[in-house]
Amino acid sequence: MIEMIDGYPKYMRESIKKVEETRQDRVDKLPKPMSMSERKKILNKFHPDFDPKGKRKVRTGPNKGDIVPNEVADLLEAYPSIAPKDIDLSNIDYDVDVLVIGGGMAGTVAALWALKEGIKKDKILITTKLRHGDSNSIKAQGGIQCADREEDSPAMHYLDVIGGGHFANKPELARALVTDAPKILDWHEDLGVMYDRDNGKYLELSGGGTSRFRLHSAKDYTGLEIMRVLRDESINQGIEVIEFASAIELLLDDGGKVAGALLYNMETEEYSIARAKSTILATGGFGRLHIQSYPTTNHYGATADGLVMAYRAGANFVDMDTVQYHPTGAAYPEQIVGQLITEKVRGLGGQPVNKDGKQFVFPLEPRDVEAAAIIRECTERNKGVKSPTGMVGIWLDTPIIEIIHGKGAVKENLHAIYRMYERFDIDVTKDPILVFPTLHYQNGGVEIDVNAATSVAGLFAAGEVEGGVHGKNRLMGNSLLDCNVFGLRAGISAAKHAKKTKLGKLTLQHVEKYTKNLEKNKIKPKMRSPMLLPEYREEDVLARRLRLST
Amino acid sequence: MEIAYYPGCTLRTSAKNFESSSIAVADHLGITFKELSQWNCCGTVYSLASDDLMKHLAPVRVLIRAQEDNKENGLDNKLVTLCSMCYNTVKMANHLVKNDEEKLDTINQFMDEEPDYEADVNVLHFLQLLDEIGIDRIKENTKKSLEVLNLACYYGCYLLRPEEASIDEEPEAPSIMERIMEAAGARTIDYPFKNECCGSYLTVTEKKYTAERTYKIISSVVNRGADAIVLSCPLCAFNLDRRQKQAKELHANMKSIPIFYFPQLLGLAFGINSNELGFNMHYVDPRPLLKEKRLIKR
Amino acid sequence: MAETEKITIYAMGKAYKVPAGLTIMSALEYAGYQYIRGCGCRSGYCGGCATIYRREGDYKLYTDLACQTPAEDGMYLVQLPFVPANKSIYDLDKIEPMETTLVEHYPEIVKCVSCNTCTKACPQDLDVMYFIQAAKIGDFKEVAELSFDCIQCGLCAVRCPADIAHYHVAQLARRIYGKFINEKVEQLTKRLNEIEKGVYDKELNKLMKMNKAMLEKAYKKRKIEGTK
Ligand SMILES: Cc1cc2nc3c(=O)[nH]c(=O)nc-3n(C[C@H](O)[C@H](O)[C@H](O)COP(=O)(O)OP(=O)(O)OC[C@H]3O[C@@H](n4cnc5c(N)ncnc54)[C@H](O)[C@@H]3O)c2cc1C
Repeated sequence: MIEMIDGYPKYMRESIKKVEETRQDRVDKLPKPMSMSERKKILNKFHPDFDPKGKRKVRTGPNKGDIVPNEVADLLEAYPSIAPKDIDLSNIDYDVDVLVIGGGMAGTVAALWALKEGIKKDKILITTKLRHGDSNSIKAQGGIQCADREEDSPAMHYLDVIGGGHFANKPELARALVTDAPKILDWHEDLGVMYDRDNGKYLELSGGGTSRFRLHSAKDYTGLEIMRVLRDESINQGIEVIEFASAIELLLDDGGKVAGALLYNMETEEYSIARAKSTILATGGFGRLHIQSYPTTNHYGATADGLVMAYRAGANFVDMDTVQYHPTGAAYPEQIVGQLITEKVRGLGGQPVNKDGKQFVFPLEPRDVEAAAIIRECTERNKGVKSPTGMVGIWLDTPIIEIIHGKGAVKENLHAIYRMYERFDIDVTKDPILVFPTLHYQNGGVEIDVNAATSVAGLFAAGEVEGGVHGKNRLMGNSLLDCNVFGLRAGISAAKHAKKTKLGKLTLQHVEKYTKNLEKNKIKPKMRSPMLLPEYREEDVLARRLRLST
Repeated sequence: MEIAYYPGCTLRTSAKNFESSSIAVADHLGITFKELSQWNCCGTVYSLASDDLMKHLAPVRVLIRAQEDNKENGLDNKLVTLCSMCYNTVKMANHLVKNDEEKLDTINQFMDEEPDYEADVNVLHFLQLLDEIGIDRIKENTKKSLEVLNLACYYGCYLLRPEEASIDEEPEAPSIMERIMEAAGARTIDYPFKNECCGSYLTVTEKKYTAERTYKIISSVVNRGADAIVLSCPLCAFNLDRRQKQAKELHANMKSIPIFYFPQLLGLAFGINSNELGFNMHYVDPRPLLKEKRLIKR
Repeated sequence: MAETEKITIYAMGKAYKVPAGLTIMSALEYAGYQYIRGCGCRSGYCGGCATIYRREGDYKLYTDLACQTPAEDGMYLVQLPFVPANKSIYDLDKIEPMETTLVEHYPEIVKCVSCNTCTKACPQDLDVMYFIQAAKIGDFKEVAELSFDCIQCGLCAVRCPADIAHYHVAQLARRIYGKFINEKVEQLTKRLNEIEKGVYDKELNKLMKMNKAMLEKAYKKRKIEGTK
């Protein structure tokens, strides 16, 4: 048995002591931010996303020839999980104007705005894989960006978004994002979302890669606070939600428009047909693909199903070549490895330091740069700390926050993090925490225009599943904003589209065609998709698993 | 003097003037009510309804808060309450656990997240505290005598019954409230209903029944020349004040009179600003009477 | 590698041997369960993995989140992924915040006997009983603050002898607080007007027309607030 002292093995305490020794001196001394060329160098050498072995060209479909992570390519080059001939499309179970796939924040926002746009409540349906709100959205801790201060402007916000995205963003999407932000916050206030305030003004923090303090938070439960209010409102409005019902393929009509989805009851394994004049894809991201075997911050259902479905229906992607790793995931204790340590920790003054208690990077670089610097520290420079299970990480000095902002500041602003570690006897107001980058965000996705419309008629997309807003790299706080801005736009556009649309006969021919194309492109699929749930059962168990035939 | 103080829910909702006037009066006498650092409902709803130990958790939790706060603040181990219902519930729970060690044990065991209750808190009603402080202090502080008022003191049930909870040595013929009001100069009348029930919670389901009781009580005191009723229970106050509306519908000849919480009138006697005493919160507006008697400005 | 220590857990009464050092959630997965229900965010934010357990030799039932709680030897476990508690349906715009508003929507809160079982059940260690007490007297601020970290797992409601749905009561109180008691922030309203009037259009148009080199230059020139 390893000897433990307040949550840490004794040997790790030696390094913690060094962190304590340098703490006071570090309070107002920070390393300089990197220049553009330094950034480039470190990214190329250390960031997993810059490792060419992690990616390949996808060999079929609308983006044939484009680079995507291997794990995504595998899903796109997989067989569908159904045979279209087994599905009876003549029996419609749900006949609605607007179908929302995914009950996270983007989906819920879209449903509420479709309602506001005049679609009757019984003509809107949300279908979701887990429970309503079990999503990446509810886990967002840090906050949401909105340029509302005198010292700030939508133009500054725009420049931050574009620069953070390595200048690859679709300009009109970035503009929509920053100019709608105040409207979104105003709407949230009307719904009763409790954003942090300080003397009648918003309490605004800075985030990585942002030039102004503009992060609005609700303690470190921002996503939870917004999501539970939106969910409450959607229940009050009487919008129907079917839980544990995943969409597994989109349906088209004979005119080629998207016309709803094939749903799968996760519990009874029945399928059902949801016909819809407009369909909104809001299935979120892909963290549970564990790209390059990284642990992830994402929720259980983040398996890229939306990408697969949309791609088979003919929608194209943008910026799917980059993946966001959050610089600070928990690296110890083992039970919470990969879970997010919000950037707000660094926004409040928390500092990354190595095993000698020395600083090695400006704490608020853009995420990719910050992550690369941490990886360099742990690999090439060998200045990381090894956990008892072999995970290497660097320290994130949390106690320093209490020196900067006064006693109690950690509990006041980072209660979720405090609570998470308290369960393992670690007091983050007294001791630093061990962190390492973790798989966090799908930067690109299904391409949309400013109205959240995809390249296929009748299909709209909002939130993490779509791409173009953030270019090659998303900045903290812009994703919750994205869900709301494009959720709103998708809801309105879908409503408008539904009002003027007549559907033809339903078909799954696109799925058959896609399967044939796999053969044509000489692809030998390794699996079926969409994935729906990640596999965490023990190999021994799976090896002996029987599927009884009856 | 500082004393731990337990307000209870009603004083924060429908009987705010009871609280504000009490605090003002206490303040005037140099008593500071130190509100418990945290408190819960006294549990009266269950006390009235059933008879298991569950119902005592709420009042005992209040007593534990008092015990702990008093330790922390170095105060005498006392607790004062205003609302008769809270007083009665907390007092009786205290009585129960003081006299039944086994029940105290069971309750302490259930509330394992709290320190054990040592059954040592002394629960007082504000009237008792005033009596303890002394009639002389009230006399000394009276600037404007209430001699112009003829009052009917109304006790209802919870200040007197059961015997163990009685604030007066003679539950059948109480006089503590009279003593206090007279010390402030008021005249009081004797009448047969002062320790009878006001109808209590029947007011929710049997409005008419309570209205009849209200009629009986009010006509009895009016016939004996009372200008107003003083009391100490928000529920009695509700029935005797608000139910005058229904009583009048049943008996058109009934004369309306105002219903006061006792500290409201003591406050006037002490010269406390009438804004603090909450005369605007009554159904039967007492201000015309008070103006007529020149107790407040016209 | 050394053989890892094994512990025995009981999934709904059935014994499985799993390695020590896992959460309840990963221990059950190790044992061969694939979650459909009872697993959501996997980091303590969604309340989807509410779990009731007992330790061998102890008569008490405990509650916590499967994804955040270390599995221990001799744990008897069952998950509660759904709570059928009543939620009041309301139009927030039509609510007038009064002392009695919460009692009107959730009359059962007056039946609280202060047994504190809710507080003991809360995996977030919130003062659940005291926010219900505050709800009874319409103290929205107190309810909002005490309940802020509520993840709405529903364990409080499951354990309450008075059938109170604490988490729904708190949700209404927080929305009332957020909407009616928190005042709108002036700078937001001002910015909204400016955007509506097109104050920033010119600058944004200019930025949108810039090529990459020009943007890079502008980006480099930014002054970062909070740095020297
Ligand atoms: C730990 C963490 C912290 C974060 N912090 C921040 C932050 O501070 N600020 C910020 O701006 N962003 C943050 N983000 C990012 C942000 O929260 C997400 O990008 C965003 O909320 C995604 O919203 P969404 O609605 O698009 O997807 P989600 O919220 O993930 O919702 C997608 C929903 O679709 C469901 N679904 C998936 N597949 C299917 C299917 N086949 N059929 C039906 N339903 C399906 C999912 O179960 C889920 O409920 C954070 C993300 C994580 C993981």
